[in-house]
Amino acid sequence: MRHLLLASTMAITVALAVPASAEGVLSVGMAAPDIGQVDPHKATTTQDKPMTGWLFNGLVRFPPGSDDLGALEPDLAESWEKSDDGLEWTFHLREGVKFHHGYGELTAEDVVFSLNRAANPDTSSFSGDYAAFEKVEALDDKTVKITLSAPVPSLLGLVANYHGGNIVSKKAVEELGADFTLKAVGTGPFMVGEYSPQESITFDANPDYFRGKPKLDQIVYRFIPSDSARDLAMQSGELDVVYGRQDQQWIERVSAMDGVSVDVVRPAELQNIHFNMSMPPLDDIAVRKAIATAIDRQQFVDFLGDAIAKPAQSIIPAGNLGFAPQDLVEKGDPAKAKQMLADAGYPDGITLKMIQTSLPSMLSVAQVLQAQLAEAGITLDLEVVDHQTFHANIRKDLSQVVYYSAARFPVADVYLTQFFHPRSIVGTPTAATNFSHCDVAGDEIDAARVEQNAQKQLELWKTAQQKIVDEVCAVPLHEQLIAWAKRDNVDYGYDLKAAMHLGPIINENTTVSDE
Amino acid sequence: MSAPDLPLPVEPEAVPAPRPGRLRALYQRATRSGALLVGLAMVSVMILCAIFAPLIAPHDPYAQSILHKLQGPGPVYWLGTDQFGRDVLSRIIYGARISLFVGFVSTALAVVIGVAIGIVSGYFGGRVDRLISGANDGLMSFPQIIMGIVIVALLGPSIHNLILAITITAIPAFVRIARGSTIAMKERDFVDACRALGFGNGRIMFRHILPNIADEITVLASLWMATAIRTEATLSFIGLGAPPPIATWGGLVRDGFDNLLDSPGLSIFPSIAILIVMIGLNLVGDGLRDATDPRAPT
Repeated sequence: MRHLLLASTMAITVALAVPASAEGVLSVGMAAPDIGQVDPHKATTTQDKPMTGWLFNGLVRFPPGSDDLGALEPDLAESWEKSDDGLEWTFHLREGVKFHHGYGELTAEDVVFSLNRAANPDTSSFSGDYAAFEKVEALDDKTVKITLSAPVPSLLGLVANYHGGNIVSKKAVEELGADFTLKAVGTGPFMVGEYSPQESITFDANPDYFRGKPKLDQIVYRFIPSDSARDLAMQSGELDVVYGRQDQQWIERVSAMDGVSVDVVRPAELQNIHFNMSMPPLDDIAVRKAIATAIDRQQFVDFLGDAIAKPAQSIIPAGNLGFAPQDLVEKGDPAKAKQMLADAGYPDGITLKMIQTSLPSMLSVAQVLQAQLAEAGITLDLEVVDHQTFHANIRKDLSQVVYYSAARFPVADVYLTQFFHPRSIVGTPTAATNFSHCDVAGDEIDAARVEQNAQKQLELWKTAQQKIVDEVCAVPLHEQLIAWAKRDNVDYGYDLKAAMHLGPIINENTTVSDE
Repeated sequence: MSAPDLPLPVEPEAVPAPRPGRLRALYQRATRSGALLVGLAMVSVMILCAIFAPLIAPHDPYAQSILHKLQGPGPVYWLGTDQFGRDVLSRIIYGARISLFVGFVSTALAVVIGVAIGIVSGYFGGRVDRLISGANDGLMSFPQIIMGIVIVALLGPSIHNLILAITITAIPAFVRIARGSTIAMKERDFVDACRALGFGNGRIMFRHILPNIADEITVLASLWMATAIRTEATLSFIGLGAPPPIATWGGLVRDGFDNLLDSPGLSIFPSIAILIVMIGLNLVGDGLRDATDPRAPT
């Protein structure tokens, strides 16, 4: 009898042990004190965007680990066709796709609702991208037709699993109201679980995922703003995947750790300094030119290391279709800048206010900039606030200088429209992220968007960049790749070459094994 | 110094004129353990560093040299460099200016305001006292750091607001001790004598009672200065201190945290500076208390 008891105890132990090892919980550490939202149409920050890649699908998708526009593949749509003039697109939806938490099956209505929501400035940060959307309609339960008022450079990009292209549940948005911000409902491999403010948010495997039940059971997304604390948690095995400190020193140190590897991936985020031209003395182009002359752009590459930072060559990222390298001030010259300021009527220098995030990677770059400008008699007062407040306040047109780091859908139209189109000026009803109030290239940007001749389109984009650089709406510092580290027992299930969502996609194939 | 319209040749005193023997006894009591002297020495060194920072600091604390970033301690940069290649020792020396200045000014302000309110409250008693004590207890019930965070968060981080925040959090302690001592003091004969002579309330409170409670306030002030410096460091540490690139001790410890695994010295060295001042001020406070405590053996 005793043997039987012992044997059964052992059997139970073994039985418990087996699921324990198969029970995959992936812990991800993010450099932020909290999240802003999981609503994909609002998520613009580094901490919010990676999650959208785990929770949502688009009509088409970037293959996991890729940022290649030419590689877009079917996601919620099985197939599509377009009219000859490129103005009418019809998408046929996959059958039997279920929304999280019992919100029912995906229908054409949800897609219509989602795309209209993405095009509405009240509910979306990306509404500007959808300006050419004339009508989105459901032809039947599984067929969606998009009618454009003018051709767009890459329509598939606007319905991909990225930014406004993510499809949400109409019923969930209507039922949850404001709660949707933190309980967003999609169709992806993971669904929102529990949220503990300033601590973590969990995502549970979606058992009904249309590509199959995820091999992981849960993702725990933890908010750990201190770089050192994240590294230590990684070293002790408490975290499986971490967002790195974005510099070479970190990459080298973490790569040398046992059982840990670092991925440095595209897209490169372009770091621009935007000058708010609605505020003196930055309304004077002579002052802006003086500041541009004071900035030593190569020093930022040296500071961060060339494993992660590349020199910037225009006010849009080099990876964009339509990118054209510009003639920028290469080497900072503080003495000349000082003279230029004096000539502009500021012999005693100027003082500028910059609202700055406390995110360590960005704060460091701002401090290098501050020291460079100081040499030219330009005092840069940093008003350091947390990352969410930073994002909110710069959009309220409160900062004279805005340091913004961003990668967008890799077609020049998107970056140019969001950051330099007059329609996107902050503080206006159609505002996006035109922090500088730049209004010199609106015509070219609009013309390029509908231009059918590829060569002419490239010319227009080139002219737009030229005009913006000549006007000194912004000065590009450098382009920065994204560094993430993972423990070797984590297998993403694909080759991580790029992370459109600024973080690795975690999907049904991702596994974490015992070490 | 006596008022010209009064006939008495001498003013009533509670504190006897210092006799040579008493001074010596005070000195002996204060220095018996040597703690006061050690404390004074520690604090003095830091104050001198702060005053003469431009002469002592080997480098410009704000000059970045990216080629020399994150170096360990060595012959050129004695305590190493931070992530921007700035000299850590120079930043600590300059940091002393802000940290000690904030600590000193906010404590001085708290003493002036808190003691004035406390004496008035204790002297008049009654409704005035109940009102002031009630408000004071209310203020005291907030933990000091929380109070500081609220004030700085509302007004925005800057040195002025730091001083304001620390002053406000320190005032209640001085109100309480001044009030308590005044209540004890106002029953004494010399106060009655002052009243009999027709002295005004203001004169009695600040010319006669204040000098007699000054020793307790001094002890408390030296301890509170330590607390004020620590509060400054704490607020700077959580990002509510002076904005970059200004060097403050708390800010240095925090900035060092981002590179803790590459260069632990970035956080450790400024922590040691804070520690030295804390210990120094506490030794001074203890020494002064020993020297002025009437119950201490002579």
